[in-house]
Amino acid sequence: MKRIQDIEKLTAADWDRIGADESIPVPEDFKVRLPRRRPVAIWSIAASVAVVAGIGLTALLRTPEPEDTFTDPYLAYAAIEQAFGRMGDAVSRGAELIEQKETEFNKVTYWK
Amino acid sequence: MKKLIIIIASLLVAVSAFGQNAKELYNKYSDLKGVSAVYVSPAMFRMIGKLPDMDMEAENGEKVNLTPIVKNLSGFYLLDVDDATVADKLFAEVRRMIDGKKYELLFEAKDNGEVTRLFTNGNGKTVSSIILTTKDGDEFTFMSLEGNMDREQLENILAESAK
Repeated sequence: MKRIQDIEKLTAADWDRIGADESIPVPEDFKVRLPRRRPVAIWSIAASVAVVAGIGLTALLRTPEPEDTFTDPYLAYAAIEQAFGRMGDAVSRGAELIEQKETEFNKVTYWK
Repeated sequence: MKKLIIIIASLLVAVSAFGQNAKELYNKYSDLKGVSAVYVSPAMFRMIGKLPDMDMEAENGEKVNLTPIVKNLSGFYLLDVDDATVADKLFAEVRRMIDGKKYELLFEAKDNGEVTRLFTNGNGKTVSSIILTTKDGDEFTFMSLEGNMDREQLENILAESAK
């Protein structure tokens, strides 16, 4: 039996000679276990393609900028003011409804 | 290869799900018959921000200062629809957008068949979007204000303007 140190000293020519020597018996249960190729490369390609596709799709589906309705900032501001006015009206209408319901409730409980 | 197709398909679904926003709705509906539309761009908001102090008159005649909120706005979309078919379609899409982006209902008022709802999107301190919807029979109004608004300031302004 050769020792590891002896095996390490073998040259490439020695390995060729030993490999070609058919008189050396090969054990029946001998199996060459080559390391499996790891799928890292495939996954990195897939990830790169997915990223590029994602960027491309985002650019493709990007919503175009609509055209400004106003060119005068004072008019634009007036529209914003009106928008806040609408929101205020809605809140105020809600408050009125609450008040109305409260009054109705008070009337009902008073007459009972 | 199969996995790659799945990844790309998932990406497509994700992109289209996040794509629905006020701008997209505006682009889709603003040119249709029976629709009145108003859009104020971020560039215009930058110009508005340079105007002197902006006041609005409340219902009780008092002045409400809009400057702190308006300076932080970046987009305004308004769609007023009086065509029943278009109104129903827009209403359904707005509902989907509100549900998908997890808007919070701030306020709802129902009065003689008219339903007004106010939604906000953001966190405890800031509001990134505020949506007002009004449905009255065949008519539907969708209004969206976008930006980086201070929640407390916004709520104060709404309370002040409602007085």
